[in-house]
Amino acid sequence: MINEEYFLAALRLAAGHDPLPEHVSAAARDAYGLRVPQAVTAVPAECPASREVRSADGCKMVRFVAAGLTFDLEVTVGDGLIDVAGQIVPHPGEGSHVDVRTPHLTLTRRLARTGHFAATGLPPGWLSVVCHRPGQPPVQTRWVRIRP
Amino acid sequence: MHEPRDSGELLKAAADDDQRAWDMLESRYGPRMWATARACGLSEADAADAVQGAWLRLLEHLHTIRDPSGIGAWLATTTRREAMLILRKERPGVPLPEIVPGDPDPAAAVLEADISRRLWNAVSGLHEPCRTLLRLVATDCGNRQVAGRLGVPVGSVGPTRSRCLERLRTLIHQQETVQ
Repeated sequence: MINEEYFLAALRLAAGHDPLPEHVSAAARDAYGLRVPQAVTAVPAECPASREVRSADGCKMVRFVAAGLTFDLEVTVGDGLIDVAGQIVPHPGEGSHVDVRTPHLTLTRRLARTGHFAATGLPPGWLSVVCHRPGQPPVQTRWVRIRP
Repeated sequence: MHEPRDSGELLKAAADDDQRAWDMLESRYGPRMWATARACGLSEADAADAVQGAWLRLLEHLHTIRDPSGIGAWLATTTRREAMLILRKERPGVPLPEIVPGDPDPAAAVLEADISRRLWNAVSGLHEPCRTLLRLVATDCGNRQVAGRLGVPVGSVGPTRSRCLERLRTLIHQQETVQ
């Protein structure tokens, strides 16, 4: 059953009202620059401690897995910005690094021996982490929406 | 040089490092994706997130879409799913649509440009007050403004709107049957 809202949206679309905002269109076009050639996509998985839950302090835990790697991300939203503390296990190898990405900002971080990394001050919205490994295809987490 | 026009061709070109093909997909489907997100009841900010999310999902599946010619339906359905995920955070229990590439989502399909134009044209064939009322709500007039223009109580606008949309649905169905 198609609800009234869809009929009204169709009428607004035809009437030229509520048009697609220019900044949304521009962001969609810019998104093309975010593709990572040959990347393997890490998909969400259940965290043993907390299943993509947001705790009282605004901290959210998310886990992604692919290519034998597990990405555990602890995302905190505070003061309108995002902080990410993450760990990749097992360590993806000497010379590996991660890109913590949003559509507007990418921060590159070396991995500690434990596979830990951190990035702070990211804008809220869509977020993804890409692990670059020498001699192997990169592994990219699915994009996840982080908002206060 | 031959310009790819078919959506399937555009998708293949975009997967092959062609920014212009991506831009053309955005021009073709962006307005419909926006309307889909707004039809789910999202604010402008949340609708922007839903649309952006759908494009990012396409990036993730750029090489694995099974039916490239169905990319329009895929984008609309994916937008609706992202919109529902956003809504579900505010209202737990909102059901999520299944994404089946190439399988048109009936709700999102209403937002096809051709169908929207037919709906809009069909409004002219309605009797008053439906014709004026639907033109007013399509231009985002609130209930109070609509009531003022039609000279009816504010409380009657919602029920009248529902009846008018039902008449529009019937009219469209009759036109389809005749064709």
